[in-house]
Amino acid sequence: MSTETQTEDVGQRGIVERLRASPFLSELLSNRLAVAGLTIIFAMVAIALYSRLFVDLGSVTQSQIGTNPNLAPPSWLSKKTAITGEYGTFAYPFGTDIQSRDIFSRVLYGTWLAMKYGTITVGASTLLGVGLGILAAYYGDITDNVIMRTMDVLLAFPSLLLALALVAIFGTGLWKVVIALTLVYTPRFARVVRGAALKVLEDEYIEATEALGAKDPRVIVRHILPNCLAPITVQSTLNFGLAIIDLAALSFLGFGAEAGTPSWGLMLSNGVKNGLLTGDWWWSFFPGLFLAITVLGFNLLGDGMRDALDPRMRETVD
Amino acid sequence: MISKRFVIKRLLLLVPVLFGVATFVFAILHLAPGDPARVIAGQRASEEFVRQVRTELGLNDPIWVQYGRFLLEAVQLEFGNSYQIQKGTPVKQILRYKLPVTLEMALYGQFLGILFGIPVGLLGAIKQDAISDHVTRIGALAGISVPIYWSGPLLILLFAQVLGWFPASGRIASTFDINPITGVITFDTLVRGNFAAFESAAMHLFLPAAVIGIYSMALISRMMRSSMLEVIRQDYMRTARAKGQGSKITILKHGFRNALIPVVTVIGIQFGTLLGGAVLTETVFGIAGIGTLLVSAIQVGDYPVVQGTVLMFAGLFTLVNLLVDVTYSYLDPRIEQ
Repeated sequence: MSTETQTEDVGQRGIVERLRASPFLSELLSNRLAVAGLTIIFAMVAIALYSRLFVDLGSVTQSQIGTNPNLAPPSWLSKKTAITGEYGTFAYPFGTDIQSRDIFSRVLYGTWLAMKYGTITVGASTLLGVGLGILAAYYGDITDNVIMRTMDVLLAFPSLLLALALVAIFGTGLWKVVIALTLVYTPRFARVVRGAALKVLEDEYIEATEALGAKDPRVIVRHILPNCLAPITVQSTLNFGLAIIDLAALSFLGFGAEAGTPSWGLMLSNGVKNGLLTGDWWWSFFPGLFLAITVLGFNLLGDGMRDALDPRMRETVD
Repeated sequence: MISKRFVIKRLLLLVPVLFGVATFVFAILHLAPGDPARVIAGQRASEEFVRQVRTELGLNDPIWVQYGRFLLEAVQLEFGNSYQIQKGTPVKQILRYKLPVTLEMALYGQFLGILFGIPVGLLGAIKQDAISDHVTRIGALAGISVPIYWSGPLLILLFAQVLGWFPASGRIASTFDINPITGVITFDTLVRGNFAAFESAAMHLFLPAAVIGIYSMALISRMMRSSMLEVIRQDYMRTARAKGQGSKITILKHGFRNALIPVVTVIGIQFGTLLGGAVLTETVFGIAGIGTLLVSAIQVGDYPVVQGTVLMFAGLFTLVNLLVDVTYSYLDPRIEQ
């Protein structure tokens, strides 16, 4: 709310100044949970970039039988086993899987995959949803009806179910799962943005701009879009966590990443199916832990953003 | 009072949505790769036989004839026979015994979530910013951040593997052979008077219900807290306190009922999400409900089963949303305007 009034009178000032003047940002940074979320996200991005640059993809994809110990528990846990004797305490901090691959390196590389495909999914659905939502709000009538009724149909399915139905059409694979999830998330963005845009359209300055002769694209890009940014950002952040969960879920069910890929969902799937009942818990534990922490980071930040935008919830009552 | 006009209006709005849903489900068969006739006839069947199967399935008719037939049959919940999974069995009959399995699990989970979620959220709101509030808030946030396919295995590890209190997977011990009446196993075993079987079924249900319950409790307590916080700030609450009523009585008598309204919505929406999540819960716990049915139907290309399951899920989801809206309008009559 506060950002809306802000952007009106700041006018042509630079983006950095706008941000500095924004009560939203200072509010956000004074929220400890949101800062914790930001820290987690930064850490995960750093891990993702590090593993993309320095982890050898071959060593985490192909079988390492013969090179590494097989199905070894985390090395710092087992004091006297052959593994620690030969390799040192921190050789395999998360243990190894049935193909002797180092789970630690695989989990690190999985961070890169989750971040990459998560960003693409959320980015694509944000773009699509924002476009459709603004078009629906701005042109109204038939355009609005056609777009929003289509969104209603997509929203009539539980999200994971719709993703599965789309996978049945598109076939399996990480990229196809990304497309399916993009379509699943688009309606949410379209709804949020349409609502926000309709509110902006009621304002008199839009009428004034149009009276001055501004064309549709200019009104949309210069005036409507900036005023919808706050709800879009919150929705994207919260949706990012969900995207990571759903991407992994589809790999977990066997429709996403192909065998060998160090994706968290696939590691969990193999670990749960083959390792849980035999007591090899580390196989599925660590990929799940990283997944949960990452999602928690996005949820903390998204929650903090929502609170910062809605100051009513802060003051305490006796 | 539930207004008739509101319900009718809401039902009419459903028509185009359900129509769109049915169209999408019809499209699955025609957009998906592979020839259904070939799947049924088998890979080695002669071209002539495949052609015969195709005619029998009506796949040679014009697309709009097929579409019309699909809509007519879908209204009667007929989706043809399964290609692969239970070859030749009508999809309707398969769903008849798989659906109760999923619903039973989801309902018990949801029950646990409501039972614990509401008091926790209420406590958080009453003691806002106390340590207990922070702990439960972070706990709830963690609860919705942990995917079911990780919390499930963790519970299995702790309670089934290490402690051995509950069985790790399945619906009932294999020593019992319960002929389904309704398909709801805790009901069937009780009706048949087989208490040992009931106990086994209940023990098997506990972990899946707990996993669902944790997730739903997290969501419900968050909503309960924020909704209660909003209500506490209303003028009528201040008036009640100013009249000299104790603040606890005010909160319970005036606040709780009003704060419950958005919680009802969350519970409804949450139930829909649960149905989607059933795919994962059933996979983790090895339960043969419609979730696992859908997964294997997609894997083998059994499209009538895929269509039937997806339409069933969408129908249930829409029905739950309708019920939520009607309940909402009952609790808060202003919503109609």
